[in-house]
Amino acid sequence: MVGLPYDLLANPLGAVRLTFQKAVESGSGPATLEGRDWGAADLFRQFLFDDGGLSQVPILNAASVRSIPPNTLVRFRGMIQDMLGNEFYVGAYKDGGLWRTNKFMDVSQFPMDLSSDKRVWERRLLYCVPVPWLNSWTEPSSEVLLNRCASWTSPQREKRQREDDETIDHMDMEVSDQVFQGSPHTKKMRGGQLSPSSHSDECMVEGTCPSTSMVPGFERNSLPCLVKIYDSTEDDLKLNDIFEFVGVLTFDPEVTPADKEDSDELENSFCQEESAHLPPSKVPRLHCLVHRKLAVHDVVSISPVVEPKPNQVKEVREALLGHLTAALGNDVLAAEFMLLHLLSKVHARVDTLAVGKLSLNLTCFNKENMSVFGNSLNLAVKNLLPITHHIPLSVDYLNTTTLAPRKDYETNRLMSGVLQLAEGSHLTIDETHLQAGTLNTVGVENVRLLKNLLELQKVEYDFKYYKMEMTTDVQLLVLSEGKSNILPADLVVPFRPISVGSPEMVDAEALKAWRWYLASVRSLPHSIEPEMQKVVEDDMVAARQADRTLGSQDFSRWLTMSRLMSASFGETCMSLEHWQMVKELERLRRERHQ
Amino acid sequence: MASDSPPANIHDRPSSPDDSISSPIGNTFSSPGDPTRRRRRRPSAAADATPTPPQNSRFAANAAVTPTPPSSQRTRGGRGGRRNPPSTPASAATPSSADEAPPSSEGGDGDDADEAPPMFVWGTNISVQDVNASILRFLRHYREDPAQTEGKYMRAIHHVIEVEGESLDVDAHNVFDYDTDLYTKMVRYPLEVLAIFDIVLMDMVSRINPLFEKHIQARIFNLKASTCMRNLNPSDIEKMVSLKGMIIRSSSIIPEIREAMFRCLVCGYYSDPIVVDRGRISEPTICGKQECLAKNSMTLVHNRCRFADKQIVRLQETPDEIPEGGTPHTVSLLMHDKLVDAGKPGDRVEVTGIYRAMSVRVGPIHRTVKSLFKTYIDCLHIRKSDKSRMPAAHPMETENGSSRNEEDSPADYEDKVEKLRELSKHPDIYEKLTRSLAPNIWELEDVKKGLLCQLFGGNALSLASGASFRGDINILLVGDPGTSKSQLLTYIHKLSPRGIYTSGRGSSAVGLTAYVAKDPETGETVLESGALVLSDKGICCIDEFDKMSDSARSMLHEVMEQQTVSIAKAGIIASLNARTSVLACANPSGSRYNPRLSVIDNIHLPPTLLSRFDLIYLILDKADEQTDRRLARHIVALHFENPESSQEDVLDLQTLTEYVSYARNHIHPQLSDEAAEELTRGYVEMRRRGNFPGSSKKVITATPRQIESLIRLSEALARIRFSELVEKKDVIEAFRLLEVALQQSATDHSTGTIDMDLITTGVSASERMRRENLLSATRNIIMEKMQIGGPSSRLLELLDELKKQSSGAEIHLNDLRNSLATLASEGLVSVHGDTVKRI
Repeated sequence: MVGLPYDLLANPLGAVRLTFQKAVESGSGPATLEGRDWGAADLFRQFLFDDGGLSQVPILNAASVRSIPPNTLVRFRGMIQDMLGNEFYVGAYKDGGLWRTNKFMDVSQFPMDLSSDKRVWERRLLYCVPVPWLNSWTEPSSEVLLNRCASWTSPQREKRQREDDETIDHMDMEVSDQVFQGSPHTKKMRGGQLSPSSHSDECMVEGTCPSTSMVPGFERNSLPCLVKIYDSTEDDLKLNDIFEFVGVLTFDPEVTPADKEDSDELENSFCQEESAHLPPSKVPRLHCLVHRKLAVHDVVSISPVVEPKPNQVKEVREALLGHLTAALGNDVLAAEFMLLHLLSKVHARVDTLAVGKLSLNLTCFNKENMSVFGNSLNLAVKNLLPITHHIPLSVDYLNTTTLAPRKDYETNRLMSGVLQLAEGSHLTIDETHLQAGTLNTVGVENVRLLKNLLELQKVEYDFKYYKMEMTTDVQLLVLSEGKSNILPADLVVPFRPISVGSPEMVDAEALKAWRWYLASVRSLPHSIEPEMQKVVEDDMVAARQADRTLGSQDFSRWLTMSRLMSASFGETCMSLEHWQMVKELERLRRERHQ
Repeated sequence: MASDSPPANIHDRPSSPDDSISSPIGNTFSSPGDPTRRRRRRPSAAADATPTPPQNSRFAANAAVTPTPPSSQRTRGGRGGRRNPPSTPASAATPSSADEAPPSSEGGDGDDADEAPPMFVWGTNISVQDVNASILRFLRHYREDPAQTEGKYMRAIHHVIEVEGESLDVDAHNVFDYDTDLYTKMVRYPLEVLAIFDIVLMDMVSRINPLFEKHIQARIFNLKASTCMRNLNPSDIEKMVSLKGMIIRSSSIIPEIREAMFRCLVCGYYSDPIVVDRGRISEPTICGKQECLAKNSMTLVHNRCRFADKQIVRLQETPDEIPEGGTPHTVSLLMHDKLVDAGKPGDRVEVTGIYRAMSVRVGPIHRTVKSLFKTYIDCLHIRKSDKSRMPAAHPMETENGSSRNEEDSPADYEDKVEKLRELSKHPDIYEKLTRSLAPNIWELEDVKKGLLCQLFGGNALSLASGASFRGDINILLVGDPGTSKSQLLTYIHKLSPRGIYTSGRGSSAVGLTAYVAKDPETGETVLESGALVLSDKGICCIDEFDKMSDSARSMLHEVMEQQTVSIAKAGIIASLNARTSVLACANPSGSRYNPRLSVIDNIHLPPTLLSRFDLIYLILDKADEQTDRRLARHIVALHFENPESSQEDVLDLQTLTEYVSYARNHIHPQLSDEAAEELTRGYVEMRRRGNFPGSSKKVITATPRQIESLIRLSEALARIRFSELVEKKDVIEAFRLLEVALQQSATDHSTGTIDMDLITTGVSASERMRRENLLSATRNIIMEKMQIGGPSSRLLELLDELKKQSSGAEIHLNDLRNSLATLASEGLVSVHGDTVKRI
């Protein structure tokens, strides 16, 4: 709070107001302030990033939502699951002779005179959910923050009260107080519940019922959030992107169902359905001040400051390869392919082609070794990558699950499907449980979707009247008995375990290093020297002259693999050595096929 | 009173969802009386007119909830909020008083507004009289063609009166052309201007036909600029906007009370009709009859109340407007009266309306108003764009020349055409287009050229005698797996003006053609079109042609030559047009092409069907170091270079589509004499090639079907150049294309020459020759060795004998069986299982 008249954490709206007043006083009329920032966001950006305030901002999640007071600064990490369009609100209005703003809040804090001069501004609504299938180890230990939150509620409030006395913020407190209690209060009227704690519990349970939690099969304690974005351009926020939003948390005393019955029917049909289906008690509102996009390596929160040195990278690579080999029953070849697979990502799209993907199909799994190696492999992947999911494929699963997201026009919402995944997710599809059976239309469609995902890295979203293709970047691992025909992967490797390795104890430090390795190596740039290019071309021509069955797909795979191979050694340029290694791997792989 | 004419305001376009209208017109005339009487009363009302803003128009009540006019009211209902006094006759009559003044209405437009003091639309400098006069001028004098004696809209008004219509469609382009200022005002202040518009219209109508009782509304459409739904922003509120989108949901029809009638339960007295005022009807508390005056006795008489239809429709952005990584936006539409159910979910429509916003109350008991606004579009006009495919696919398709692309203003259109023409003058346009076609598919230049011809198509011709020749070019691609056939197909599908993509395995005969179904509700039989009918005038892409069931394939015979689908079923005998080009691709039956077998054997398609394809390409994976190297380079570039940089000098998909559709619609090349000559010469040459000097065998290298194909191809080639004349070089290129295709598919592998018999019968001439030789050899042996009625001999013995005689030539048991079967049909032998007996 040094030098700042407001506690940005506890009373961000105060800062917003202050900067607004300043801007108005400095002569800019409300018209000029429309659609742009008047210094509030800059203030917060400086506080968060330059002054290191970010770590002090409590994280909004299912556990903390109850303890965080409204109208305070929070941060929320999530994936944009749906975009709800724009919302118009009274951005600025004249209260007496004074201009006031409603930006970053739901309800105006001063009664707006009906006849007063008003300016209508717009903001974007994004429905965000916690990143689906995010592994729990990625979450920073939030206990410290939680404690801080808890301590806030009582003493801090008085403190704030005092501060506020100096200014004109009585209203603010009143509103927030009333609202804070008001939210369970309205529920009380409805459900007849009395103890506040049970309310919140109930809220949370309800919060995951299908109507609000759009991600099926999602962990129960996940918390969606309605983020309101100000002054942003269209293109920097995309569906399925992972973002960190920092902003003001509000509880929105919006029309609760009880009220709705009274209000006339027509108004209801106009009220954008989202408010009806996203009661504020279940979906908190976040008025975003600052947002930034997170890549997969940002999600892995440990970030060693040291630049990766080549030898260090090699050490980590060896250790990780050893770990994978152990998980795969000492099958070194499979482990090598596995490592490349874990490093793959789509780095370019040319027409329909996704360049850089490397889906892996490990074959020769049967019931016996599946239980052993399937589990150890799953565990290994889960521990190494931040976003992983495992699909046990069965006829029943295919026939009943909604894989593709679907637009529900009744609620005007995008209902998520299993395949609505954030960039950089890892998906393991276990085909060993698949029995012979009949697929219904849903099943056929699902198979087609999976196939498209494997081949093109695209998922078709169902908008009822038309389909819309969304590009994705998902690593796909298929486990099957024989070569999977319904899920054509880039690489088919017969799995030959030599021994049943005892589950190796992994120490936390090593695990951290591996996670860091996988995340950072993946984002390395890559290039090829002209000489090397010549060698590669010659090799390809020679190979094709020798074997006519080789096609562009095979060559494409070789290049992807050699690129990943050199990247796995921390190098940004392809070398002959790595190209030879890949060719050798391919040779060994082909041998296994015979 | 019961026979009273409906008060005019019934037909008002109601607007706000929850507020009613206090229409000035309605109020003025809500008292009973025929229109003439009302009219007479009017001047008196106008006399004491005060300059009141004409807010109390059909949209006035809404203005109360919209944010812009500061005088608007935010409290509603009975909570005693400040509100405008109920509109008085005076305020209503004012606007119309302008043209009321001079009784000699015709001609004196300019001096209409002389008498009344100038009035302005609130908060603007728009003079009501000015607008009034200019609307009147526009309606009276706008002519599309100066030669016409009567203005376009005068005729339209007369027509509306004749058919007793309720609305007059006004093309905003006409308004713009006639009076730009009026157009600007109308778009900027639609509420006010439209209110005046309606009043003017009403005056005109009652002057033409004083007995006409309906209130005619102006429905504006075809604005100069169409807004993208995504770009609607607060500055558009209260303005006229035009949007394109797709209807995704429409609510049930909501009856909205416009006028209520009450009856006293005590004495049975009927009250005067009570008009809805700001969404509320104030129920009279006391009986109006002087003798009764009973309190709280009034009850609503439903069947004497007047209701209007209302519907709320949600419109969603069309898929092509959605940026990458976004989800479609939606907007609510409010439809009234005639517009209700004008569009159904799934329809693509263009909507003109007024963008409005209303504030949201926190709850009825809360005084606080949320700072939010809900937005919707008050719909004025809705037009269905009946395109089954997205406009991007054929952005320049024109129906009959007059209605050009709606998105483009004429200038833009001319511009585009000019650009395309410029492009067509390029000397290497043919090569350029070929390069632009599926640029990421490697090689296959000639196949791409063939596909390009298919896209442009030839001229369909129907003779007076009734015979017709198709202009569509059918292409079959046969090839090894992994030679990007399917990719080519998808690409063409994307490009063609109207295309259906199906896969052979999933298509049934009826799915391709048409089927008869019983409507579950009415029990009528209806025809449902299949893929081929749906792709009429387009390209039907059929993947996995070889895996199609025989019955489905046989349906294609008719389509591919006669271009119709005939149905004779359950009470329906119909012939549907299916003027479609077929682009099929097939895999060889043995998954890889066997060069030792004929095309027929390789793809297992009936020759009758095969001959209907103009071009048959074999896409084979050949061992060629050069191509391999290019492939390798291509793939390396794909992985390591910026994908954008590698694609130079190609047209983008959009331009290509426009180019194709423009050519298809506007260029109809004719054969030049020179070209015709070349065609005959070339054909004769091709036929002659079959005659080998000194050889008895006759090979057919071309059939009349080929010459038709050649004509189509050369026409398509001329079209590519935007040329109205087929020149010699087109014919030469067509010959080359056909030959390339034939050489690939109709080459007899045992001799290396082109043999059309391979396609038409599936058996090559040399094969036939071999069979004949075998047959005569067999006959000789039988004649020599066997006696009539003698002991039968075994097949294998005969085979050995034959082998001895033919000295080394490979003879299979099957061949022998075939010849024996022929002999048996001649009556020479009889075959029982493995034994042969001469008879």
